[in-house]
Amino acid sequence: MRTIGWLLILVCATSPPGWAQGPADSDATTAIRALEHEWVEAQSHNDNGALDLIFDNALVYIEYGRLVSKGDYLLRVRSAKPQLQQIVMEPLTVRTFGDTVIVIGSYRETSVKDGKPLLMRWRFVDTWVYDQGRWMLVAAGAAPLLK
Amino acid sequence: MERVRGQAYVNKDPKALERILDDAFVNIDSNGKLQTKADVLAEVRTSTALHFSTESMAVHLHGNTAIVTGIFLIKGVAGGKPYVQRERFVDTWLFKDGQWISIAGLVTRIGQ
Repeated sequence: MRTIGWLLILVCATSPPGWAQGPADSDATTAIRALEHEWVEAQSHNDNGALDLIFDNALVYIEYGRLVSKGDYLLRVRSAKPQLQQIVMEPLTVRTFGDTVIVIGSYRETSVKDGKPLLMRWRFVDTWVYDQGRWMLVAAGAAPLLK
Repeated sequence: MERVRGQAYVNKDPKALERILDDAFVNIDSNGKLQTKADVLAEVRTSTALHFSTESMAVHLHGNTAIVTGIFLIKGVAGGKPYVQRERFVDTWLFKDGQWISIAGLVTRIGQ
């Protein structure tokens, strides 16, 4: 799961070259960047109420080859124990398709396993849909970035 | 459409994929590698897949957006050695200009 027990979160808000946004998409882009940050913040504080508001009820999340529902995800956040873990977000790319937005990004995760620091890098893709006046996360997934 | 995608790998047929992938399509493969449409089409041309099938496929509709999840199984031969890949995917499809096109995807290895 992307953000359980985050000790430190650094978000870089720039886009890589070649992924520029059109002016018509700027509002959606700004809103989605804010929501991605809100997701991180809410999860770092085990704030299920905030996550419930931005996750669509039909949310599907994929990691480690497993399919995780909204209920499963929130349950895991609620039962998560604080961990000594550091997540550093890398630049996000936001692509708008009208009422649908795709976010692509990566992050570095440092945790402790068997007393030793473990560094992993993940790449993710999120899908947001504008529904009834607000953006909702409908799908997300992350894959470990192998060297 | 998902089966068309898989079958394109078996048939080494990038043209079958070209019309169902948006020009801005992005995919994250099970190694975390980011692929553009051009990358995927190039991968199809050199595919070593001999068999493709799907299981546990589910579709969630959100207006003109569809989220598809499922598992695909690919069998093939690479470097003279047979391989089997079983991976879970999530794909985002958009109804655009009268047809469904894929705009994003992500694959993770089961048991990874």
